[in-house]
Amino acid sequence: MAKKRNKMESIKKYLVLVLITGFGFLPNLKAQNDLQIGRVFELYGDKKGSVMVELTDEMLEGYDFSLFKSITINNNPQAADYIRKCLTKDETGAKKVKQVVTNGIPTSIYLQLPRKGQLFRLILFNETFKPVQKITLIYIESKNDSEDVLKLILKKK
Amino acid sequence: MNIRIKRKTDFSKLDQLIERYYEGLTTSDEEKQIRDFLSLRDLPKRFEVEKEIFGYYDQKKKKPHASILPYFRWAGVAATVAIVVFSLHVYMNTNQSNYACIDGKRIYDVHQIKTQALESLSDVSPKTNEVEEGFKNLNDRDLIKQQLDVFSGL
Repeated sequence: MAKKRNKMESIKKYLVLVLITGFGFLPNLKAQNDLQIGRVFELYGDKKGSVMVELTDEMLEGYDFSLFKSITINNNPQAADYIRKCLTKDETGAKKVKQVVTNGIPTSIYLQLPRKGQLFRLILFNETFKPVQKITLIYIESKNDSEDVLKLILKKK
Repeated sequence: MNIRIKRKTDFSKLDQLIERYYEGLTTSDEEKQIRDFLSLRDLPKRFEVEKEIFGYYDQKKKKPHASILPYFRWAGVAATVAIVVFSLHVYMNTNQSNYACIDGKRIYDVHQIKTQALESLSDVSPKTNEVEEGFKNLNDRDLIKQQLDVFSGL
């Protein structure tokens, strides 16, 4: 009888564990979560001095983005260093479209990531110092060719 | 009066059935009849042994049933929770996946969100055409002259 009760208890525990694990992983099913920059959005997204944007299946300037995620952080050099570290890891297997190095530090990086399924993926990073230190990090998923998306972004403003 | 006669007949029938049972000749229908008889409240004491035997077999039959039921109950609860949470997750994702978070405060107005998105796009796009600017510099005679002057002084 005690054995049976123990067995039931372990089954209950197992079921609860399966549920918790399953739903813990559910939000992580997005494509960006295989990337280190996903942590940047998690860490700085709701901090003061940050502006985070998430758009799903929306049109922006005529381009259909499956996912558009951006974060702008003001006056936070540590965040810039952290992002650069993340980008170094995410660069693996990616095509570096553009890199601007100022005083030995990369201040602008465009990465064309390998496709994930049908989605083209891009990471754009920029850091400016005037009038204040400002970091912008963008992650884009699109069914449109990433070269076309880049043309839209790179066009003269 | 009628009832008493009926009961007498019934018990004699039960005797016959039990006899057949011990001889191993009963069908499943007859065994069911025996069980029905034995479940009667005012059963004579002589049937106590049979009652125990059949009670034992009934318990044995019920055993696996009793142990399986909680498994199904838990599986049902787990499935229900899973469906509810999954539905909530899908609902939240479809309805609130477009947002902007400014200084920790979330806004859901699509127009405002798009404005913020375009602003961040404008931040990463070059303010001047860098390639053109580079070529312009290369063709700038004054700049070349200036640079050559540095070496002429050596």
